[in-house]
Amino acid sequence: MTAIAKKQMIEYILHDVIRRPRTEIDENTALVSSGLIDSLALVDILVKLEDLTNLRIPAGKVNAQNMDTIESMFSTAQRVGKPKN
Amino acid sequence: MESKFQFPFRTLPEALFAAPADKCFATMWKCEDDVESVTFGEFTRLALRQAEYLRSQDVKLGDTVIILMPQDIPLMAAFVGAMILGAVPAILAYPNFKIEPTKYSFGLSGVSDNLKARLIVVDQRFPEELLKHIRVEGSARIVRYGENDSPVTIPDIDRSVEPSRLAFIQHSAGTTGLQKGVALSHAAVLAHIANLAEEIHLCPEDRIYSWLPLYHDMGLIACFILPLVCHVPVVMQAPTDWVMQPATMLELIQTYKCSLAWVPNFTLQHLARKVRPEDRPSFDLSSLRALINCSEPVRASSMDEFLAAFQNCQLNTNALQSCYAMAETVFAVTHSDIVGAGPRRIWIDGNAFRNQKCAIPVPSDTPGAICTVSSGRCLPDTQIRIVSPEGMELTPGCVGEIVIRSATMLDGYYNRPDLTAATLRDGWYWSGDLGFVLDGELYVVGRKKDLIIVAGANIHPQDVEEIVSAHPSIYDGRVVAFGQYNANIGTEEIVVIAEVRDEGDLQKTNRIERELRTAITSELGIGIGTIYLKPLRWIVKSSAGKPARSTTREKLLSEQPELQFRGKIS
Repeated sequence: MTAIAKKQMIEYILHDVIRRPRTEIDENTALVSSGLIDSLALVDILVKLEDLTNLRIPAGKVNAQNMDTIESMFSTAQRVGKPKN
Repeated sequence: MESKFQFPFRTLPEALFAAPADKCFATMWKCEDDVESVTFGEFTRLALRQAEYLRSQDVKLGDTVIILMPQDIPLMAAFVGAMILGAVPAILAYPNFKIEPTKYSFGLSGVSDNLKARLIVVDQRFPEELLKHIRVEGSARIVRYGENDSPVTIPDIDRSVEPSRLAFIQHSAGTTGLQKGVALSHAAVLAHIANLAEEIHLCPEDRIYSWLPLYHDMGLIACFILPLVCHVPVVMQAPTDWVMQPATMLELIQTYKCSLAWVPNFTLQHLARKVRPEDRPSFDLSSLRALINCSEPVRASSMDEFLAAFQNCQLNTNALQSCYAMAETVFAVTHSDIVGAGPRRIWIDGNAFRNQKCAIPVPSDTPGAICTVSSGRCLPDTQIRIVSPEGMELTPGCVGEIVIRSATMLDGYYNRPDLTAATLRDGWYWSGDLGFVLDGELYVVGRKKDLIIVAGANIHPQDVEEIVSAHPSIYDGRVVAFGQYNANIGTEEIVVIAEVRDEGDLQKTNRIERELRTAITSELGIGIGTIYLKPLRWIVKSSAGKPARSTTREKLLSEQPELQFRGKIS
């Protein structure tokens, strides 16, 4: 389940956020700290993360560092996320 | 004009001591279950404890103290604590996780050296691995923010802190070691706050919302010093928290009934595009009497997008206002009429603007007309002139450099006589911004200097070019960086053009691009837009043999015309 969600996140970031040809990323690629994506784009990724995990991630509970890799954003979502009602 | 705001105090600490002790001052909102508020009385005690602590660290009258702490109430207390001692605090950007330790420490050493700092105060959680790298020269020491619980009392007003003494240093443009420190006296800051408060019709019932960093003049002056001096509350959150969850700004304005906020232009667009449409109608923004667009060029399209997105949120029709401000004049230079209908918009002839550098108003439906938004009229005690490259004062409607004189202007950049000589002449400050004046209102249209403004942060293209040049695959010195407005994000993004040494490398652009992005982000802490790797001799050189930034930019835009229209189509 999570593995599929992570794959979907990779697809989303490549096609909707980075939108540059010839870019490859995996679960452990540094995204923000490597300059691949700008922190302004994290808002979209956070919304996607909520959709894929079916969790609500409260404001202020997650920072850019938590979102630097797909692996860490999913573990952050599990840690701070609340079930959607 | 005589200001209505006559303060019965002479320094910033005296302003705090005169505040009503029970009135709410600062609220720091981190998340729904982590909110801290202090009254003016509680904040005064925190600041006095910090003064005691700094005194125990041997800080004395006139010493410079650098503060490196995350956006929070303790940072503000340390800042005021230093001023209580007559020391001169300067807030620098807190390192984010993207920063590379050795580069960061190099930049910090440069700033600390330039400021001749006595002490660098960092918070308890400041990363140890960064501290290990920091080597400061001279008499400076690094200490962690400390608190003691000893009882404190408001001291007798310390007359040794004269109003003409420096109150603090705020930084203008620049990254790392290249920042320009603007040192301001208590008298200048108080005089400016009086003018600003009058301009915005500030009243005791006002409440300010802010996500702005305190190391930036807009966050420091409008959202910390103004509320401190005028005794009004401020509700704050950290910039990164707001960026990631933009709707929190609207929630806080609604919950706390905030009436004033300052934002750079891209904020309006970020809110309009990123707050989910289904969430929008739930906000009640009726308390907001002014949302002031400042510190980036003001764009009509961003304002319209915001108004359309939040039209059902009880927003006042004249809530969006504009202001032209800079650290060098303490803060505001011009302001739109806050009780008027909102900043004036005019349409000007596109050809005359580009070719004759003049603004000729035309009807809005004229083909090629450019919409420009006024930044308003001068504040009291402030004058502007529009000047040609030859130094001649230009007539209304002509585009030239904006040159400013104000009663609360800097005397010079701190310990930088070279920069001072380049920008201060005969009592006028040469801003490097381009604009025109019509009917007494200022319209800012661009910059003479090649400064890039990314989401309100000023970036020198030279800094980016230097980092790119250092890459082994790039031909040293054959790099051009410039800012290109991206309407999708409502701010500029950095475009880089670089020549590769070996044309075979044009097959490996993916790897090189990735390395360049990492290098720029780790050094400057910002992301960049597109990188164009080009064969040798692609970049246009000036007669002096240096890459010609504007000509190279034109060449790229003629090859890639879509860059100019980024975000406008779709």
